[in-house]
Amino acid sequence: MNVIDLQNVETIYEGESIPVIHNINLTVKTGEFLAIIGPNGAGKTTLLETINGILPYTAGQGFVFEKEIPIYKTAIRKEIGYVIQNFEMDPLAPFLSKDIVMSGRAGKIGMFRFASKEDWEIVWYSIGLVGMIDFAHRPIGKLSGGEFQKILLARALAQKPKLLLLDEPFSNLDFSTRRQIEKLLNRIHEKQQMTIVIVSHDLSFIPSRCSRVIVLDRGKIIMDGKKEKILTSTMIDNIFHKKGVNQ
Amino acid sequence: MIDIPLALLFTSILGAVLAGFVCSTMGVFVVRMNLSSIGYCMSHAAFAGAAFGLMISVDSLISAMVFSFGVAFVLGPLSEKARLESNVVIGFLFSVMIALAFIFLNFIPGQAASGAALRILWGSIFSVGYNDLMFLLLLSFALIFFIALFYKELLAVMFHRKLAESAGVNTKLFYFAVLFFTGFSVSLSLRLVGGLLVFALIINPTSTAYQFFYDFKKIMIFSPVIGIVSCLIGFWLSLVTDFPIGASIVIVSAVLFAFAIIISPKRRKGKGKQRKMGFKLVT
Repeated sequence: MNVIDLQNVETIYEGESIPVIHNINLTVKTGEFLAIIGPNGAGKTTLLETINGILPYTAGQGFVFEKEIPIYKTAIRKEIGYVIQNFEMDPLAPFLSKDIVMSGRAGKIGMFRFASKEDWEIVWYSIGLVGMIDFAHRPIGKLSGGEFQKILLARALAQKPKLLLLDEPFSNLDFSTRRQIEKLLNRIHEKQQMTIVIVSHDLSFIPSRCSRVIVLDRGKIIMDGKKEKILTSTMIDNIFHKKGVNQ
Repeated sequence: MIDIPLALLFTSILGAVLAGFVCSTMGVFVVRMNLSSIGYCMSHAAFAGAAFGLMISVDSLISAMVFSFGVAFVLGPLSEKARLESNVVIGFLFSVMIALAFIFLNFIPGQAASGAALRILWGSIFSVGYNDLMFLLLLSFALIFFIALFYKELLAVMFHRKLAESAGVNTKLFYFAVLFFTGFSVSLSLRLVGGLLVFALIINPTSTAYQFFYDFKKIMIFSPVIGIVSCLIGFWLSLVTDFPIGASIVIVSAVLFAFAIIISPKRRKGKGKQRKMGFKLVT
């Protein structure tokens, strides 16, 4: 089954005339682990948010789980775990980590329903999976960048998603935390056979189980193929060195 | 001490307590969403409404309520459509309401009528009637029901709107509902306690609760408790000292806030103190 199927998709932001992504043709099958790489401003986040329907596409057709995105976006999102690009958190924010993980299940539980014992079991399992049990009762604003990122990952996993979209999950993290999250993603993919799409501008942190890489530049897919082949190509070297992106 | 009939005293206290409850409950969302100026905006909508009522010779209190509800309704959709922060739209509506008020006042002959419109801004707790109490009581139950039933959605939206949306929560619906309930709470409380007190009852109790808790649920519980306690102490202070009631309640809630800042465990350092706040340091 195709988890993602985009046909000539183009996305233009409201009030703009130039598309951020255009002529996007992308098919992702169940269980694939895919990395989208590209320099800053290439349209990577826009592509992810077009897939989960947060940004409406302006041309072409897009399907997720074989459902048309604009029509079924709310239902689709309940099956997609999304980890947003690292954002600033107010240190005094009044939220406990465990409640943030539970908030990932809000859509899935549905309106007019309360979180059940089973929902909480899933939440605790997800927190345990990312190794954050000891931090579950801590305020979210008191966590370090790496801990916060792990809680956001647990939040996405608590959805029990069929598709995991990760937007720069390694940004602002130190080397050892990057390695921990990389290992974690490999383990999740191995154990649960989940379809994972990861966005990165850092070529050195593409998880080992990721087999396919897509290169996005100026809103267009310019390369799509096996990781080993793409990462050793001279074209990649040109794109990333020209733009001064870390490697 | 002022000698007040018992029935009037009882209804006034009940009115203040209910206004304290609804305002400080919605204050939790207002503070989190950084919409503190909503109190000004709604009070001036009521002012414009009262002026309009006087201009066309209808009950100024009814027209004040209509204007306030109207602003409460359009606030969310307008900020969404304009793609602007709600606080910016509140500022825009605030200026429009003042402009309308002055235009309407221009058509009302005499100083006395203008004074009647201006009284909306100050409110009068002793003018509380049975209908006011009933409306506030209904709103209080509606708020409890709304928050209890949609707590998980509200928490998700308050944490991060885009993340909530990505998890399949209809964020627009809840965002509008919060803005609407806030506007509604302000509108109903306004004629009892006035613009100044409404503003204080929205901001001060929540800000006080924020000094003690990191748990959203606890803030949701303690903010209205602090709001109600402020109203009761303020009311008593007013009776004892002859201070205006609104001003007394504002002073009490402000003193509680200042005291909370001083003793706030959030600003203390050390292992033992953090444990008291419901979490432990992990080494």
